[in-house]
Amino acid sequence: MSGLLAYVSRRLAVTFLILLAVSFAVYLIFAFLPFDPATLTCGKNCNDPGIIEANRIRLGYDKPFYEQYWVFIVGLFAGRNYGEGAAAIHCAAPSFGYSFQQHACVTDLIGEALPVTLALAIGALVLWLILGIGLGVLSARFRGRVLDTASTIFVLIGTSLPTFLTGLMLIIFVVIKWHLLPFPAGGYSSPFEDFPGWLNTMILPWITLAFAYAALYTRFVRSQVIETSTEDYIRTARAKGLSEGLILGKHTLRAALAPIATMAGLDFAGLMGGAILTEAVFNLPGLGRLSLGAVLDYDLPIIVATTLLAAAIVVIMNLVLDLVYAFIDPRVRV
Amino acid sequence: MLKSTKTLKTTLATLAVAALATAGLTGCAAGANVGGTLTYVTFQDAWTHADPQRNYTGRDIAWFGSYMHRTLTAYDRAEGAAGSAVVPDLATDTGTASNDNKTWTFTLRDGVSFDDGTPITCEDIKYGVSRTFATDVITDGPSYAIGMLDIPSAADGSSAYKGPYATEGNDTASFDKAITCSEDNKTITFNLKRSVGDFNYTTTYLSFGPVPKAADDGDQYDLHPVSSGPYKIESYKAKDSMVLVRNENWNKDSDPLRATRANPDKIVVKFGVAEEVRDQLLLTDSDPNTMSLDALLPTNLPTVFDETGNVLPAFEGRALNVYDPYVRFAFVNVKKLNCLPIRQAIYYAKDFNGLITLAGGQAFNGDPADGAIKPLMGLDYKKVTGYEDWTTSPNIEKATALMAQAKTECPDLYARATDKNRGLVYDIADSETNKKSAAIWIDSLAKAGIVIKFNFIEAGSYYSVVMDPTKQSDLSAAGWAPDWANASTVIPELFTTAGGFNLTQNADDPAYAEFEKLSNAALVESDRKKQGEQWAALNQYVMDQMWIIPGTFSKTQEIWGSGLGGVFFWEPQGAPSFGDIYIK
Repeated sequence: MSGLLAYVSRRLAVTFLILLAVSFAVYLIFAFLPFDPATLTCGKNCNDPGIIEANRIRLGYDKPFYEQYWVFIVGLFAGRNYGEGAAAIHCAAPSFGYSFQQHACVTDLIGEALPVTLALAIGALVLWLILGIGLGVLSARFRGRVLDTASTIFVLIGTSLPTFLTGLMLIIFVVIKWHLLPFPAGGYSSPFEDFPGWLNTMILPWITLAFAYAALYTRFVRSQVIETSTEDYIRTARAKGLSEGLILGKHTLRAALAPIATMAGLDFAGLMGGAILTEAVFNLPGLGRLSLGAVLDYDLPIIVATTLLAAAIVVIMNLVLDLVYAFIDPRVRV
Repeated sequence: MLKSTKTLKTTLATLAVAALATAGLTGCAAGANVGGTLTYVTFQDAWTHADPQRNYTGRDIAWFGSYMHRTLTAYDRAEGAAGSAVVPDLATDTGTASNDNKTWTFTLRDGVSFDDGTPITCEDIKYGVSRTFATDVITDGPSYAIGMLDIPSAADGSSAYKGPYATEGNDTASFDKAITCSEDNKTITFNLKRSVGDFNYTTTYLSFGPVPKAADDGDQYDLHPVSSGPYKIESYKAKDSMVLVRNENWNKDSDPLRATRANPDKIVVKFGVAEEVRDQLLLTDSDPNTMSLDALLPTNLPTVFDETGNVLPAFEGRALNVYDPYVRFAFVNVKKLNCLPIRQAIYYAKDFNGLITLAGGQAFNGDPADGAIKPLMGLDYKKVTGYEDWTTSPNIEKATALMAQAKTECPDLYARATDKNRGLVYDIADSETNKKSAAIWIDSLAKAGIVIKFNFIEAGSYYSVVMDPTKQSDLSAAGWAPDWANASTVIPELFTTAGGFNLTQNADDPAYAEFEKLSNAALVESDRKKQGEQWAALNQYVMDQMWIIPGTFSKTQEIWGSGLGGVFFWEPQGAPSFGDIYIK
């Protein structure tokens, strides 16, 4: 157990260094982009160099980028203050800064967007795993028959339709034309406050995302199951007189589970960076929308924070997967 | 600039006086029902700003001005030219000027209050205006207060007064002298650094509206501004919605402009609706009490309008195709293109038909512009003469003749303009449509022997690049809408060195000195009709010198549900008259 602890802490230390490097890289990129954050703070008739220069100094954009970066790092641990007098704003640690476009501390913005993306990703993941594994196994079992052909067609459609199109079609037909679901009130409500409302908001986005992913998983599970079922130990099991169901459950699927877990873990981590198109079509205020808006507005504090978060999730997910392997596949546990 | 959609004019400023008398009488459309919920949809994640000092686009000013933010003066709520008349709002009249239009005085009505019932005083307006000076916090708003009020400049060129939040080195005394309040706190006096004959148009900007000091928390005030109008905010969340409910502390009698108009009980804005979803909601009339805050997608225009731009029968009474306040054109960098015949040759060789077809056709995008002032500006517009042989398809013959003239008059620039390796350079924002339009420009100008190259600039940083004289090329694409119903917000802004958006670099042009003299004279002209003639003449002057290559007088389209009545295009704001909309 102490070996495992040392391993995990070593991996966490590396994760921290990676994140530091990522944040520095994002700062560096923005320092050399051909736009001027001070000019962006200025309104329409504002080519008044007086106002622009005054804002540059007041907002700290006159400092070299490494100094701005250092202020950012300090803020992470100590919090940051902006402005003075009645306009003073304090962002408590861990502070990723203040977004002047969104009038909020970035940490709070992330705190609001993260549950949305989490709900979207988890719901979709459950749906596509059930659908993907189920269909995959069935079409492997009934290879070459009608069900297999039908699932092949499903895979073809699912992989070729972009999510924004599936999403749009779902809204336009299910909500606007057929009135099967009410038009979502907009935004996102917590399942703990309004469960039916939450379900109403999330069901179509889940279907949209799950549709695209389930197709991929069906294909993958099918080929995994078919490949494993030709292995010697499966033939042995069959020779021992085990039922087909038991063979599938205890042997075939178990062997196919490790690669599926890897794939699901990485896809889930990818979605946590934000399912930008799905979030945009369904007006979900998740991480994808947050980052997209920030990129379009040159809102550096948000970009740094969402990039870091996405990187952190991928790195941590990799660590979690490595640990999960140990449980799924006894061979790794040595 | 592209950012703002603003005022235009079709009428006399003198109408203001006439309208003053009728402001209390003009009612809502006959048969307007009271009650119901009016819903707006938009693909935007939130309002650009809800803070009165930060509202700048015509659409936002029209919306917040209708429902929440009152100002000293406002535009009348009327269709057509009458809408551009200034009427009193919080003030009892449209202001009194003295001291050669350098001192303006307004008196507040009785019974005006914020949404918590606190009376609005002169100090509240003074405090509101002071926020404009905090340019690092109150961003994006109009800076007229900074430009006009009699406050000295600091060494670095910015105002010596830095707004209400700054604690050090702040010249508060100057601001206190520039705006004074009477003893009873009901009369406000603005002391300006120059004569501004139409200052009561300036005060229609919400940035001259009141803010209670106790509620101000700087940047965050944008999320929960206090209301002085018929509605107040119940909830506002970006990427979600805004809900307005009736403001129980709004005193009808103090607000003749809105008294008979605030009809719906509730107003909801749904943010972040995907563009195609938004259009489908409106096209299918799924919720008849809904209006779109955005323009229709170009691909959906043929569903609503015929080829000539008229509303199809199925959408009669719930769609509009009208001129917006914008003029689109290309600035000529006169310092670099210091040769009139070449500038004119570019204008003649331009393929208007090709460019407008690419953009979606003349019916939806607008007519060829003949200068920087739009016909909707009424008094200030006069058809430009001297270019009668300009045609919507390239007039290559004329352009070629002008280039021949340029060969002897300005051989150096001629050599560059016709050199395949050098040529002229056109700044334009980087977009798919603009890349295609570049091909049309290159093609048609080549027929007159002109070589043109394109400098595609990333859209978000376009203006910050071209407004830097060291980076600006020979020509720069731009658009402009006047800030209020007077070409004083067009001609001096675009073509004099004092203007905020002069990309012509014309200061060294031999024709400039005379132009500046005439423009300054027009600025202080108090006879509005005569002033209109002066602006029209200056517009002609600009075209004689070809300081811009005119593009289009552009148009915009609006759509709303069948359950709504009272919708019309409010010309001075270039937006629908939101405050007049009711549920049928």
